[in-house]
Amino acid sequence: MQKTAATRSPASPLAGFLLRRLGTSVLLLIGVTLVTFLLTNLVPGDPVTAALGEGPASDPATREAFIQAHGLDKPAPVQYVMYLGALLTGDLGRSLTTGQPVVADLAKAIPATIELAVAAIVLSLAVSLVLGTLAAYRRGMVTDQVLRVLTLIGLSVPTFWLALVAFYVFFLQLGVVPGSGRISPSITPPPTVTGLYTVDYLLNGDSVGFLDALAHLTLPVLVLSLFTIGLLTRFVRTSVLEVLDTDYVRAARAKGLGGWRVVSAYVLRGASLPILTVVGVAFGALLSGTVLVESVFSWPGLGSYSYNAARNLDLPGIMGVGLVVGVIYLVINLVVDLFYAILDPRVRLS
Amino acid sequence: MHITRTGTVTALGAVTALVLVGCSGGNSANNSSGDSTSLTVNTSFTIETADPGNSYDPTGNTVAKALYETLVDFEGSDVSTPVPGLASWTQNDDATEFTFTIADGRTFSDGSPVEASDVVFSLERIQAMTEAKPAFLLEGLSFAEVDDSTVTVSSETPKLALPALLASPALGILNADVVAEHGGSTDGEDTAQEWLDANSAGSGPYTLDSIDLTSQITLAENPEYTGEHAPGYSRIVLRNVSESATQLINLKGGDADVALDLNGDQASGLGDGFTVDSVPSGQTIFLLVNQDDEVGGVAASPEFASAVRTAIDGDGLLELAGTGSVQATGVIPPGYSGALSDPVGQDLDATAAALTEAGYDGETIRLSFPNDYPVGGVEFTPLAERIQDQLKSAGINVELAPAPFASELDAYVNGTEQMGLWFWAPDYADSTNFLPFAPGLKVGLRAGWTAEDNPAIADVAAEAYAASSTEDRDAALSDFAAQMQESGPFIPLIVPASNIATADSVTGAAYNSVWTIDLAELAPAE
Repeated sequence: MQKTAATRSPASPLAGFLLRRLGTSVLLLIGVTLVTFLLTNLVPGDPVTAALGEGPASDPATREAFIQAHGLDKPAPVQYVMYLGALLTGDLGRSLTTGQPVVADLAKAIPATIELAVAAIVLSLAVSLVLGTLAAYRRGMVTDQVLRVLTLIGLSVPTFWLALVAFYVFFLQLGVVPGSGRISPSITPPPTVTGLYTVDYLLNGDSVGFLDALAHLTLPVLVLSLFTIGLLTRFVRTSVLEVLDTDYVRAARAKGLGGWRVVSAYVLRGASLPILTVVGVAFGALLSGTVLVESVFSWPGLGSYSYNAARNLDLPGIMGVGLVVGVIYLVINLVVDLFYAILDPRVRLS
Repeated sequence: MHITRTGTVTALGAVTALVLVGCSGGNSANNSSGDSTSLTVNTSFTIETADPGNSYDPTGNTVAKALYETLVDFEGSDVSTPVPGLASWTQNDDATEFTFTIADGRTFSDGSPVEASDVVFSLERIQAMTEAKPAFLLEGLSFAEVDDSTVTVSSETPKLALPALLASPALGILNADVVAEHGGSTDGEDTAQEWLDANSAGSGPYTLDSIDLTSQITLAENPEYTGEHAPGYSRIVLRNVSESATQLINLKGGDADVALDLNGDQASGLGDGFTVDSVPSGQTIFLLVNQDDEVGGVAASPEFASAVRTAIDGDGLLELAGTGSVQATGVIPPGYSGALSDPVGQDLDATAAALTEAGYDGETIRLSFPNDYPVGGVEFTPLAERIQDQLKSAGINVELAPAPFASELDAYVNGTEQMGLWFWAPDYADSTNFLPFAPGLKVGLRAGWTAEDNPAIADVAAEAYAASSTEDRDAALSDFAAQMQESGPFIPLIVPASNIATADSVTGAAYNSVWTIDLAELAPAE
């Protein structure tokens, strides 16, 4: 069939959609920086003494040099405009806590958290699709009741407590997982390519390092996943139940299609849109909210970094984290919207 | 060609297996636990850089102590007596000029000798870097090279504390030629920090192997080391473990050989197979009662401060601090010159009399404190609650005002707290570090306490600063500590313990209030 003049290229709506999204994203990110800047400046405190320590901060020359170096002598609005100007060149300033460029700090912290969060969301999704579908098919039966209790436990158990108990039991008592950190003390970190240790070890052809990094990933991921599994299982169950009552699923069954074929091709596909929304939100929460698990497992990720930045009134650090979290949610929302369009042709990107 | 789903999964599995099998294999590092050539230390990192000249943090001091040597040293936990490090010294009668002679045969990690020019370069480099945190330590000092192995350090005023000050790891001696090659200079334009964050250029027992300031620092034995404490391990790994509970589990599970941040309860419950060095740290937790009428209100009098002092039951507070902690006997903690031997005991009759004299009539006093900053394992919130209970029993009404450390610090430093619960740690190991509690000085002013409020104590503090003989200074310090307990606005409460826990396979661990632990003193047990 020949294209008519009226037929628009399929790339056009996508390009337009992406451009509009980009525009609104930039505005949103500027808003994030402004709110973060205002809130951090409203907190009473002296970031100079907090960063330098009492002894050095009491020396006028050291104090003055620090203030000048970080531009803290300028009025707040000027500081903010300077920050935005530097931001355009990719400069997020220098952390008052670590003394390092915030970009360099984040370049180390973000991959560590991504490694945790991606593994946790993949595991959570896989487990909850099975459990949620099972619960829906066995609605009101013992399996459904047991799963309801289990998911409730997953949602209710405090993560910090669970992390400590799991570490105590599985490392100290049973010895089935290694100690804290991303790798064992005896293992040399891989040359940085992606920052994801498991991937970088593979790229470097280091099987010992890969297996060690994988083993260290196991328990934090399981702990992080418990809550997400509880959350997703409930959503999957609800979504599957709604789809099970639809005509097209009944028709598929009437045609004599096998159980697995009905579930995979009809039920889960139909239930995927609301599940996808929750997966996006859960993934965002995993990326930005792993501080307690990171603390227990000594995982040098975004959570640990943001906690230390907030604790020390480290304005550039806090701003950097705010921006990253903003970008994370914007990207996840964008991806979820794109998946919507792929999974449901009725959804138009425009 | 039709590829089935099962076929795809099988192929993926095969590829993964092939990748793993095909990997060239082992990670080359040595195994840690149980391997006598490697040691793993767990600590909560406080470090910004491995450049000693820019570092002034606890972990930074521990690392600098292992990589760089200082002119002066301390033995083990004893910080009362400086001993020769890289150099021995003499001083003039006025204690304004000190002559250091570098020991023969000392070498840097590249094999070159440690010379006087290295000493002058290292110290002048810090002085020139105004933004460097340790720069304040060298205020008023000048350095001169006499010959290859002799340096003089001159002070504008008598400086008996100089030897102790020069033991600070931040003042470690760098290989001047090597550092200058990588941007080091004494003109204030120094750019060597970046290089020193990846390499070391010292004469210490260890060299810097690798560093990630957020997770792990690895030190390697320095084969050129010629000093007294030969390294006990070929490799030491310091790991950032912020949770003390995780440190405990790592230590018990064999993933760590040393844990530096266990609290008293955790340390005392370790059991067989472990050794704990629990000693009072150099930090003192204290109450301040503001003497400025506008801030302190009815509490602004020496009599009210005295009432609080005699209302406190020190034993009751000590229960919250754990093994190894002791009651504070004054603003100078045990182990330092001038420290008093006994704390002020609870005396509720004296409290009642002092309250009457102060004109106190049950008004509510606001007690501010940081609620997110435990010191030596002592949490401030339960401590403040216990103080509130004790003062209530003595007839003093207190309301608690907790706040995050970073935001409350400003109020404390600016002297705007009516009553505060804080802590003090010395900048270096000398009793003059406690003289700022005097009226009119840094900490005194935080309690709204001016020199005019108590000229006698202000004078005795000035006397201690200016003393040129150890005897005169020790006498002034003792007098200062005693007078502060009599009529000062500070109520020293607890000197919390520092607990260093080691597996029995490790010997030599000793807490030092300046560098926490000297890694060079650690060695495998026989």
